[in-house]
Amino acid sequence: MAVPGMRLFLDRVTMERGAWSLVAGGTFSRGIHLVTGSVGSGKSTLALLMAGLCPPVRGTVDRDGIQSWMLSTQFPEFHITGLSIAEECASWGLDTDVILRSAGLEISGDVSPFSLSRGELKRLHIACVLSRQYDLLLLDEPFSSLDCAEKERLCREITSREQGITVVFTHEQSAFPRVDQLWEIAGGELCDLGRVPDAILRWQYAPALIKRLVGVGRCPSNLTPDEIQEAACRMHGYD
Amino acid sequence: MQDARVRLGSAALLSVAAFISIEGACAVFLWWLVFTPHVRSARTRSVLPGMLALIGFVAILIVISGGNGFSYFVRMALVLFIGIWLYAEQTPGDFLSVAVWAFGKRTGFDMGMIGECAMQMAESLSRDLTRIQTAMKLKRQVWGIKNLVPAILVLIHDAMIRAGDITELLATRGYRNGGSLCPVFRTSARDLVAGICAICALIFAIIPVSEFFILYR
Repeated sequence: MAVPGMRLFLDRVTMERGAWSLVAGGTFSRGIHLVTGSVGSGKSTLALLMAGLCPPVRGTVDRDGIQSWMLSTQFPEFHITGLSIAEECASWGLDTDVILRSAGLEISGDVSPFSLSRGELKRLHIACVLSRQYDLLLLDEPFSSLDCAEKERLCREITSREQGITVVFTHEQSAFPRVDQLWEIAGGELCDLGRVPDAILRWQYAPALIKRLVGVGRCPSNLTPDEIQEAACRMHGYD
Repeated sequence: MQDARVRLGSAALLSVAAFISIEGACAVFLWWLVFTPHVRSARTRSVLPGMLALIGFVAILIVISGGNGFSYFVRMALVLFIGIWLYAEQTPGDFLSVAVWAFGKRTGFDMGMIGECAMQMAESLSRDLTRIQTAMKLKRQVWGIKNLVPAILVLIHDAMIRAGDITELLATRGYRNGGSLCPVFRTSARDLVAGICAICALIFAIIPVSEFFILYR
């Protein structure tokens, strides 16, 4: 059961690896958060830290009212602990047939998950992760290895999540769920850009299309394909 | 220790010395205290308690069955210490350089490459094990005997896939046997002293202590 006042609070958390460092501060409250940043900016490290799997060098991570959490890492094979799809589903405490249907995979549960393509494995893994409700759901590059249709389907599923805190870490440029709050990692610091749509105006490394729309004064109301399309149509004077 | 030849040679001699006798193990312990950074390395600290517990368990079984469990524990613990030190000090390319230096560019290169692959595999297994433990933690599974068998099977499966990938890569690059390498070693005075002391430790382990005092009989 989700707690209404739940929040994840980062108090000037610092991570260091050699010359690289990342400082993160801010409050993640209920809703869908998008954390963007270039490759190597520290998104995965931040996800691990928020999941409590990687201790910070300095600062603290407070999870108020969060009873359950899940981290989906970028590489689906990192989650495999079973030698067949049935065993893998059982390790999540889930029904194989339900998961295979949900992932849109027409294969037997006896098949080894290692024999699946990266894309198929990602679909299987995401289906397992999204089959349960968590107070805190951390999705690290959930769109990697997925084709356009699957990305859109996943965006719809993430958008439909009404409970808890969902944080999507991605450098994706075209597929986004409906987002409540936007964050950006730039210059070794996590910046809270605020609530969408106002945050889009402050998005320093926004995708080219969104930057162009903002540039001509047609800021989309959110980041879903429909809303970006709607803003683009306004740009060209269509209703 | 900078010179990989001295490091590998010393490790081999010290392992034999520690295994042969309790006197040898004591000499190896002294060598370990003087010439190694002990267990300060994070790479060594993480594996030490588990390995010592395993040796201790076998030692207890030996004591129960009437054997000298204490001697076994001390000797094997020192072999373990030397092994962990060698693993912590090893850098990529050491096996290849030493094997080519010792056995030439054909047999030596092949032997060295096998050694490097084994080291790489050990690193990968360690990473895979951490990954599996994290995955189980995420799935709210308790790491224990029940999960050990599937975890080991996944580890073996991953290792087989990785070995297949390396084989394909070597075949794609046209590898048949042997290779060209000009190993370069840097030997410090401390390396030489450590090497000589390792030889002394082996001599001390082989020759009974009383023989050293033969002139005084």
